Amino acid sequence: MSNITANNVLFIGAGANDFGREAEYDAAIYQVMPELRGHGVNVYLIDENPYSLSLESLAATAIWKPLTVENIKAVIKQYQIDTVLPLFGGERALRLWSQTVQAWSHGDGPVPQTLGLTIDMLLRVNNVAVLTSMMADAGLPVITNHVAKAQEDANELLREIKLPLMVRALHPNQANTRQIVERLDEFETAVKSAKSQSMTQEIVISRAINGMKEISLEVLRDFRGNKMQIGASEDMDPIGIHTADSLSVSPTLTLSDQILEKMRFYAFQVADLLELRGVLHVQFAVDDLTNAIYIIKISPYIDQMASRMALVTGYPVMLVAINLAMGVALEEIVLSHDFGKKMAMMEPMMDHVTVKLPIFPFGELEQAGVSVNRQLNSIQKSVGSTIGFGRTFIEALEKAIRSAHFNNASFSPTNMSHSSDDALIQQLIHPEDNRVLLLVEAIKRGYEIDELAELTNIDEFFFYQLRHLLKLELEVEQQVESVEALRRAKKYGLSDGLLARFWRTNFKNIATLAHENHIEPTFKALEPSAGEFPENARQYYSTYEEENESLPVSEDTVLVIGSGAFRMGDAAAGGYATTIVLSELRRLQYHTVIMNNNASDATLLQNLADKQYLEPLEISDVMKVVALEKPIAIIVPGNRRKLIDALADLKQNVLILPKEKHVPNGPDDTETEFALNVFSDGHNIYPINITQHMTGELRIVPEIAQLPIQLAQTHLENPGVYQVIWYQDTSEWVKHVDVPDISHDTWLRPMPFGQMAFMSKVMQVQWLRMTVRALLARMTSQDSELLTNVNKLTLQADVAMIASDINYALHLQPTQMIDGTRFEIGVGIKYDEQIKI
Amino acid sequence: MKRHLILEDGTVFEGLGFGAHATTFGEIIFHTAMTGYQEIITDPIYDGQMIVFAMPVIGAAGIHAEAYESVKPAIRGMIVHDLAEVSVNRQRRMNLDRFLKQHNIPGLYQVDTRKLIRHLRETGPQKATIVDFADDHAVDQLVATVLTNKQVQNTATLKPYANPGRGRHIVVIDFGLKHGILRMLGDYDANVSVLPYTTSVDEVLTLDPDGIILSTGPGDPRSLPDSVLTLIRVLQTKAPLLGIGLGHELFALANDATLAPLSSEHHGMNHPIQEIISRQIFFAMQGQGYAVDNDSIDRKKLFVTYRDLVDGAVQGLRHREYPAFSVQFFPDAAPGPLEATAVFADFFETVEDYVEHHS
Repeated sequence: MSNITANNVLFIGAGANDFGREAEYDAAIYQVMPELRGHGVNVYLIDENPYSLSLESLAATAIWKPLTVENIKAVIKQYQIDTVLPLFGGERALRLWSQTVQAWSHGDGPVPQTLGLTIDMLLRVNNVAVLTSMMADAGLPVITNHVAKAQEDANELLREIKLPLMVRALHPNQANTRQIVERLDEFETAVKSAKSQSMTQEIVISRAINGMKEISLEVLRDFRGNKMQIGASEDMDPIGIHTADSLSVSPTLTLSDQILEKMRFYAFQVADLLELRGVLHVQFAVDDLTNAIYIIKISPYIDQMASRMALVTGYPVMLVAINLAMGVALEEIVLSHDFGKKMAMMEPMMDHVTVKLPIFPFGELEQAGVSVNRQLNSIQKSVGSTIGFGRTFIEALEKAIRSAHFNNASFSPTNMSHSSDDALIQQLIHPEDNRVLLLVEAIKRGYEIDELAELTNIDEFFFYQLRHLLKLELEVEQQVESVEALRRAKKYGLSDGLLARFWRTNFKNIATLAHENHIEPTFKALEPSAGEFPENARQYYSTYEEENESLPVSEDTVLVIGSGAFRMGDAAAGGYATTIVLSELRRLQYHTVIMNNNASDATLLQNLADKQYLEPLEISDVMKVVALEKPIAIIVPGNRRKLIDALADLKQNVLILPKEKHVPNGPDDTETEFALNVFSDGHNIYPINITQHMTGELRIVPEIAQLPIQLAQTHLENPGVYQVIWYQDTSEWVKHVDVPDISHDTWLRPMPFGQMAFMSKVMQVQWLRMTVRALLARMTSQDSELLTNVNKLTLQADVAMIASDINYALHLQPTQMIDGTRFEIGVGIKYDEQIKI
Repeated sequence: MKRHLILEDGTVFEGLGFGAHATTFGEIIFHTAMTGYQEIITDPIYDGQMIVFAMPVIGAAGIHAEAYESVKPAIRGMIVHDLAEVSVNRQRRMNLDRFLKQHNIPGLYQVDTRKLIRHLRETGPQKATIVDFADDHAVDQLVATVLTNKQVQNTATLKPYANPGRGRHIVVIDFGLKHGILRMLGDYDANVSVLPYTTSVDEVLTLDPDGIILSTGPGDPRSLPDSVLTLIRVLQTKAPLLGIGLGHELFALANDATLAPLSSEHHGMNHPIQEIISRQIFFAMQGQGYAVDNDSIDRKKLFVTYRDLVDGAVQGLRHREYPAFSVQFFPDAAPGPLEATAVFADFFETVEDYVEHHS
């Protein structure tokens, strides 16, 4: 029973994707909106993100508008919103709602109620100095903050606080970034940079605590004050490297119970202090020598930790969070039958290990000729992450590395002998994205574990583990085709592909050798009771033990291969695409199985597919699931060429979701890119529209697109949305354009997923769903009818896709400008009278 | 080297040996706590038992001076999935493997512990042995072995001793006391006298206690002599009394309630426990194979104060007439959530109240 009275509830979305802002908010909102219908309320959502799934959900009235105070106020007025839920849109939504409340004037009527946190607390949460002193007053261990406005005040503070210092913005206008100042000559730049990020030009200076362990706890609290811990994680990398850029392990492995219980107690105190009704992420620093604990950040809203904990524990964090916000007591939360009956109020226990590995955009940028600063520090550089699941740290690490699609050979110990000892030490102290590799190399060169631990501030445990891995790999490499070596390698998560490279053969031979010797993967259920109770598990991961718990779902299963981590470029909309595919397959009444390894999008939500495999997506991993599930078809994103070929080679029925392998090219400042967009159902091609793309913006050309005769005669066997691309030297928006001779002045490519998401919203035509129907030969007569007239649909479009305000300079320090509509970490929209005809 | 775990029902698990290369027999149970392995294996309540850990990596936090619940572990074996090699000891390179060797306790790792736990979840605890070879001889030996029911006698102190402080005088009756309880009493600067459970009413009352604690302990409380129940019946009328774990079970028995084995044993810290009067939910370390039979409680004497919301088991009792109460869970938080330590605050409030009214 809810103790909240609400009629019209508004969710504020998170907006465009950015560093630290992937699709977790969208996934959370997408998951919880249907849950609210059970509470008898009307649900509304405002968001601007063209990649948003929630905007296409039938569970809410969606308002696709830029996220501004004015738009939020207008929506509240128009729809008589009486209740606002900002906590599911993360930090940005919280900030926006605070601003809206502060800008509220007498004539605007009563302020809608805020669920989860009171307005008063909301305002405090948005002011780090006020928040810190509130916690300090409550006796919580925080690090004292000093607020400064002028450079002289900041300089004055230098006398009080010893280096290293942490400098950040007060009232930041974007996700808050922390800069560590280790030398005096860096101070002024850091202050300037932080001031530029502050809406009030104020900065916060505090003592830096580099080198300590960074631990995260996720807890929840209901309106009665009941509290529970959902999970915890520890970063292998010490404080000083942004937590998003750190290798992170859950559950925590190296911490004693006493330390963890203290942190839990502090986290509970923070939740009480905030009178929170929802979930809270608290970041701690722990000094291993003195056992001192500091609270370094609190996030009383959905964030990456919340979605990660949901995935790694199997606990339905989002569904519980919405119930808490609605004023349902913990013990009275009723979950759907997808979940254990008492699951909501039991603390999740884990009988598996998960490793989160960050994904950096350096490769994509390098390919495009943009070089960036690769050194890891307190400012986030990663854009996504993968998670490896296993029963040991090494197995989970190996699977996370494989999920990241690095070249696995580059992670083998035979490969990293070129750098000198001095260079190695320097890189150990100033790590880059290849950190794990360096640690292995250092062990290989005979550095003592305690030396390395001291040098890097990484717990000895991780070095022991890496040393074990190194030893294992060297042994396996020497024992070519030994069954015992194979068995041992498999236990620790080494892939068929890696073993094939060690033994100079191909993965099929390894798979055959394993099969002949009964070395088979066992799939273990991922459920939050750690085996104590039989739960309705749908999530599985592979390992090599005795008991397999996964049975085939059905005889008409479609297996969907997810797109893995969020990456720069078109992969940013990969989660959107995969989720829509799953949803359409279910609508068409197929049984569905998904393989993926990304916690930050909706693809692995428990109720979206009949079964989830939390696995890497290489051919050997996929074939192990195929052998068990025997799917009638496998849907694979088109950029996975090798996987597609290998599956076809193994006589699998592969359906390709068209997608280009590399980051698509984009126009530079002086040119414009045109695209004639068409749909192929596998037999005929239908014109959709023409889009014009200039740096930072993409618009639909307001004319009816026609199919050039050469294209009408072309046969595009694989159904999907495609683009005929050509360039012109123009920097004007046009109302008409002639399609050039398509035989030599143009080229054809699949439409990027991001543009598909945008186009689906603009046209109210679900292009991905249409593609799925075409792939499975399930097109309807309505579809055909629509396609013959679809080129007349976009004339009303008054919305353009624009680069969102992503601070590439701060995060990556690139040598040249990065065009946001091309690299597509995140994009926004703009409504324009100019665009409308 | 390869070693085997054999269960009484004939199931065999293979793994690699660590710790001592010894053959042992014990009752096998599983534990779902993710932290606190050192406290768990040194807790006297696990005397004579083998513990399977659901947490797949054990040992990565090392062996700490602060994490002993008894100086000498009383478990008969430890079964884990992955064993980590880490030492945090300044004096010796002490890790879990060496620790078990030193105490002659065998361990088994690289076991499919999830399979084992799913099996034990269905069968309940059973006799088990860790051996080199899983042959018929080993199975016969296991079947023929009779496990001791003298666990309390094995672990409880034979002689009285003091843990002096400057605060209230608390008498602890020892049934297999764990350090956590003494640590908590230390937090209140209590002046502690620990007495054997064979102690007499006279010996206790001569010490003029401000409060009495019936400690935790291993095994089935019904195997203890009736004199213990008589002792409790008298002591509960004389001074504030707190029973914990086995002490709670004895307190219930002394007040005519009966015990029933739980449908499945519970060892972990994930169950919500509700304080009935306030409806507050909290979590605590729990380790129990028995629970007080709800229907057997004489409501004129006792009422239920806490309940486990998962299995409904009684987690706390209070006497209607006397300042005496008890909890099934472990409020010393060693290991376990700190919120459970509120029970000690309750106890000391009762003690202060008693002292005020009786001086």
